[in-house]
Amino acid sequence: MLRYVAFRIWASLLTLAIVGTLVFSIIHLLPGDPVLILLGEQGASSPEVVAKIRRQLRLDLPLGSQYYEWVRGVARLDFGVSLQNGVPVLQELRARIPRSLELILASLVIAAALGLPLGVLGARYSNRSLGWLSSLAAVFSLSMPSFVTGVILVVTFSLKFQLFPSSGYVAPSEDLVGHLLYAILPSLTLGIGFVGVVIRMTRGGLLDVLGKGYVRTARAKGLPERRVLYRHALTNALIPVITLIGVRAGNLLGGMVIVESLFNWPGLSTLLVRSCYDRDYPMMQGTLLAIFALFIVISLAIDLCHATVDPRLREG
Amino acid sequence: MRRWILRQHRLLLAGPLLLVFLLAAVFSGGLAPADPLKIDARNILQSPSAQHLLGTDQLGRDILSRLMYGSRISLSVAGAAVGIATLIGVALGLLAGYLGRWVEGLLMRFIDAFLCIPEIFVAIVVMAFFGSGFGMLVLTIGTLYFPQFARVVCSVAAAVRRREFVEASTALGAPGLRIVCREILPNIASVIIVQLTFTMSFAMLLEAGLSFLGLGIMPPQPSWGQMVGDLKDYVHINPLPVLFPSLTLFVAIFAINTIGDWLQDWLNPEIAG
Repeated sequence: MLRYVAFRIWASLLTLAIVGTLVFSIIHLLPGDPVLILLGEQGASSPEVVAKIRRQLRLDLPLGSQYYEWVRGVARLDFGVSLQNGVPVLQELRARIPRSLELILASLVIAAALGLPLGVLGARYSNRSLGWLSSLAAVFSLSMPSFVTGVILVVTFSLKFQLFPSSGYVAPSEDLVGHLLYAILPSLTLGIGFVGVVIRMTRGGLLDVLGKGYVRTARAKGLPERRVLYRHALTNALIPVITLIGVRAGNLLGGMVIVESLFNWPGLSTLLVRSCYDRDYPMMQGTLLAIFALFIVISLAIDLCHATVDPRLREG
Repeated sequence: MRRWILRQHRLLLAGPLLLVFLLAAVFSGGLAPADPLKIDARNILQSPSAQHLLGTDQLGRDILSRLMYGSRISLSVAGAAVGIATLIGVALGLLAGYLGRWVEGLLMRFIDAFLCIPEIFVAIVVMAFFGSGFGMLVLTIGTLYFPQFARVVCSVAAAVRRREFVEASTALGAPGLRIVCREILPNIASVIIVQLTFTMSFAMLLEAGLSFLGLGIMPPQPSWGQMVGDLKDYVHINPLPVLFPSLTLFVAIFAINTIGDWLQDWLNPEIAG
């Protein structure tokens, strides 16, 4: 087990290093001189300002030293300061990472709470109308762009029934109940988009397992159907579902971009979009790195969960 | 007859829907009831009426006409992007699948690393810096989706390459290009068609998402995602206008996904779950 954990952590660090290098090179890959793009026509006429920004972005150093400085900075969690307002990038990230993480975790819980029962229903009644209903729910969830779900939820729950606020954010330290009210619609939007994947995977996994020998044995020895389904079949069918959640964590992060923008949720994605518009290179690099690191950590956590559940994996 | 309808219910449901969208896209010039760009400041954010069947947007433009012209943009961006993804993906996948060994291994590792990164973040950075617009959008989306395509094609091609008829062809001395084009390609065509359908729905979702964020198709040119993005700020004044582009997008993607599921069952019944 220890060897497997060590290997997975090493692989994650390697991925992070590759992604980090890519993020570093963005400023050089994007077309045009970043300083001139940043300052525009008039600003660029003053050579002192140009030189100052160039120094601030470390563009005056040779490429090798630039990379070295970047790696050294990242290792010390120093991502520089925003070019727009001088706020340290780390400070902004520290405030926003928990907010994004909160949405992701809440939506995972929602997706599991809705998707697992529907998936079981689909497998148990695979040839009847109840099963058809579960497939329909899956297709709906997979076809609904997250902003469409979000708009429908806002129109229904916030405008018609006035249960939740339509968009915005309150810090939990200020008003915990208010914070949760603001978080419900975005989490639900994100979760509903992910339900379809969970339903399909649970249903497929369960149908597969139900044809296996040990399920037939369990039935043959006279166990009640409920026990066969939940104790013998479902526990085994859930393993691929866990892996899948790891593989699809990227979808969830992608959906987050839309949801944060729709609900004005001050998380990582809104920061990324804003810093791209502002040509705020340090902020953009820091945010991208944070998003990818978040993704890598989620995948790692899920893989380790998987290894705890499935002993075959840590030996192989 | 009843059993046939029951078995083909997905095609019977999604086919006509898709046809409606295609017809709307092709004939939007003749069918649209109004000019999609005509601003009417006195009639903004109106609910559906006899004059504007689906109401008007924040600048008083006719929503139905904008949806029809928007279908042109949304379908052609996704179609062209899928074309690029298919061409590159199939060529690379066939090459790697046929050559096997280290070429296959190298390509697969490269693609695995690429698939780690959620597409929309790459797309946001590219579109924000290279400027948005039709060509850039098509190129970005196409590039983002060819790796998945190459991966699927490569694994199926590698499996077909080991079949007897390919070995027989090799033994008869057929050149590599002939084997790839005449023996392998026809046998994996069904997989390519299914993958093409699903990539189409991914591409439409990505285009809609980018346009929603204001990074895709630029106004005044309408696209479905962009219409939702613009109208979402006015839900407090009138929630009806934003629902029409939202539902249109949903129905279009639903139809494409359903066709994809149907094709999957029809062409490759052995994989069906």
